[in-house]
This record gives sequence, structure tokens and C-alpha cells, in this order.
Amino acid sequence: MSETGWVPIALSRFIAPGTSAGTAVHGAEIVVWRDTGGKAHAWEDRCPHRGMKMSFGFVRGDHIACLYHGWEYDETGTCRYIPAHPDLEVPPSICVTRYAVTEAGGMIWTALPLGDMPEVEPNAPEMDGLRSLYIDAPLDAVLAGVKTVASEVSQTGALITATLGETPLTLGLQTVDADHSALHITLPSDTPTATRLSLLDQFATLRRNVESPLKEAAQ
Amino acid sequence: MTQLVLHNYDLDDACYRVRLVASCCDLPVELRNVDMFPGMEQVSPPYLKLNPLGRLPILETADVTLRHTGAILLYLAGLDPQKRLLPTEASALAQMMDWLFFAEHDLSVSTEARAISIMDLPGDGPQTIAQTRALLRIMEDHMSAQEIKGLSFFAGEEITLADIALFPAFALSRDCNIDHDAFPALRLWARRVRATPGFVVMPGIPDYH
Ligand code: FES
Repeated sequence: MSETGWVPIALSRFIAPGTSAGTAVHGAEIVVWRDTGGKAHAWEDRCPHRGMKMSFGFVRGDHIACLYHGWEYDETGTCRYIPAHPDLEVPPSICVTRYAVTEAGGMIWTALPLGDMPEVEPNAPEMDGLRSLYIDAPLDAVLAGVKTVASEVSQTGALITATLGETPLTLGLQTVDADHSALHITLPSDTPTATRLSLLDQFATLRRNVESPLKEAAQ
Repeated sequence: MTQLVLHNYDLDDACYRVRLVASCCDLPVELRNVDMFPGMEQVSPPYLKLNPLGRLPILETADVTLRHTGAILLYLAGLDPQKRLLPTEASALAQMMDWLFFAEHDLSVSTEARAISIMDLPGDGPQTIAQTRALLRIMEDHMSAQEIKGLSFFAGEEITLADIALFPAFALSRDCNIDHDAFPALRLWARRVRATPGFVVMPGIPDYH
């Protein structure tokens, strides 16, 4: 795919310390996890042992363990422990592929093409995560939907700023694959609860409006 | 206390809900394991006498026989002297019941989807999976709103029967190829359910420790 640079893959607050989650960017599967010290990681979602998904596994301190046979990897992606051979000095060549990762504007980001390590951090204003909305539609359709409800929509890379009602929003755009997208919705931290709940409803309506013509077309 | 007998099948998610509530409420339950698959023992004459609907779980005591999961869960939670899974306030109780019906009625399609996927039982796989996914999305929307209100569980601040009744459909969804990727609020919620004292797992739900 031609998209390059930083792309958001999760809202920071939904990846709690000690947890992992799977996601995808342009179809490439990624595990995003946070160690118990609070540092985020984005890796290829594939265990070097038998290729199972790392995102099914679990975090232990600053290691992540694969669910299937318990191989454990440290924060550099290097395998450190193989339960079936507890005394083995694990060869350092067994490694999970790591991707660029950073946090800005209430989101966790990785960089495209995967493996690229940009020197400049993403430029995102300080914001609070509202929710990540997963939509069964290509990103273009989602963007068109946002433009019908929001005003002052402007896009820089994978980020759009827009105003919905009175609230200035920053939306992170993620192309999961050709038919699925995610909108990582963030807003100023002083936004009142009632406004947040109303925005939640408006975005659920937006999702329905974007998805239903596609569903009908598929039938 | 009255003796509780659960006619149980370990791989059945409804039986698991009963074991989970009993464990979280610290109630000893005697398990009678039933050969549901492949034996179909739940539709054998002695079992049809106990439950003419030919289903599990069945909870038997000296004076009652209960055969709907929701009723069994309510009964067990009521036996708990601390009533830890039952809200007292009317609105919280009603919300709990709302989700309990959702779990038992609407979400039963998830059990079907999983049976088709892992046991190769007949049925419309893609259709039941799509329905399950749509229901999990309703749950995700609800928990996204609860998060914003500062509430950690489906019916309020505290865990109730609703959370336990809903948990297996989410925790087992990968059995029918529904990943947890698109459900961040449910992931955080499931983690809280797992942290409840007395939490136990079933086959298909990994124990992380
Ligand atoms: S596939 Fe990961 S440990 Fe075996």
C-alpha cells in the first residue's frame, strides 16, 4: 500500500498495562501490547515458533508469552524462555519482528511501511480517547460519512480534525484492510460527560449510515 | 445448607456460567457430569424426566429442579449470604435482568455458532457468526458508554450476574473466528471479570496464570 508515515492503531487508554490486543493495518496483522511498566510495543502478530498469533497470548512483566506453547519474548522481541526446555539457553536468533511505536494525542501509533523507524514523532494535540469505532467499510466511505456530519474537516496524514456540534475532535484513521476501518476518536479532556455520550450516539449513527448501503449492495 | 447438584457438561458455556457463579459466591456444588457430546445423554429417558426440554444445565436440590440458566444463576446468587452478584437498587436490578435476558435469549445464537464451528454440528455457520458479531457489537457500544459514565460493569459500578452471564460469549468468540480486535471496551471489561475473586475458567478460556 502507498500509505506511509505514522498511523494510529489503538487508543492509549484501551491498552492497559499488562494487556495485549490484535489489530491490522492494510491487512498486516499487528500485536499491540503494554508491559507492566507502562511501555507500549507494536510487533508483527506472529510467533516465530509455529506462527500463531501473539495477540492471543499474555503479558508477564516486560515479557509477552505466546498462548500456544508459552514461548516468552522480552521487550526487544528476543525469545528468552521456552517452557518445554526450561534449562535451554535460547539462541538469540529467535525474534519477533518489531515495528515503530509511539504514543501521542491519546493514541498508540506505528509507522508505514512496517519496520520503518521515522525520526520525527507524529504531531497530534494532547487529547482524551473517547472510543475506537470499528466500521465495516473502506476508509474513503468513512471519511465521506464524517464530512456529512462534521464541519471544518481537515486531514493531515492519518489524522483529521473536525468539529461536531461544538466539540473540536481529532480522529485517528486506520485502514484495517480494504473493507474495514477504525476511527480513533479523541476530544479535549474538559469535554463534559453528557457531550461525550451524545457524541458516542452520533458516531454509532454514522457507522450505521456508512455501513448500511454497503450491506444492501452486498445482498 | 441444602445440597446443590448441578447436571453439568464441562464444554457447555451455560453450565460454565453456573459453575462460575457458584465459585464467585463460594457455594459448594456437586457436579454430575453428563455425556452431552457425543452421547446425547441429556435426551435419555432419565434426563428427560428431569428436564423434558432435553437441555443442560439442570440444578437440583431437595425441593427444586431448575432448568433455565438465568433462573439457576438467580437462585445461586440469592443463596449467597453476601449477595455479591445481586444489586439491591431497583434500577440496577432491572438493568441486570435486561442483560441477563439478552444473554440467555439473544446471545444463545453464539452457543449455536460455536457448536457449528468446533463440533461440526449442522446449521448456518456464517449466518450465526454474523449474528453473534452484531450482538457483541451491541455489548461493545454499551460498555463504551459505561466507561464514559465511570461504570465498570454492565449494570453499574459492581459486577452482577449480568457480567457473568455475558462473559463466555465474548471469551469464547475466537472459537468461531471472531477476534477481540474490534472490541476494546469489552477487552477491558473481560479483564475485570477475570479479576473477580472466585473466577474460574473452562476449556477454551485460557488461564493466564
Ligand atoms: S506457536 Fe508460539 S509458542 Fe508455539
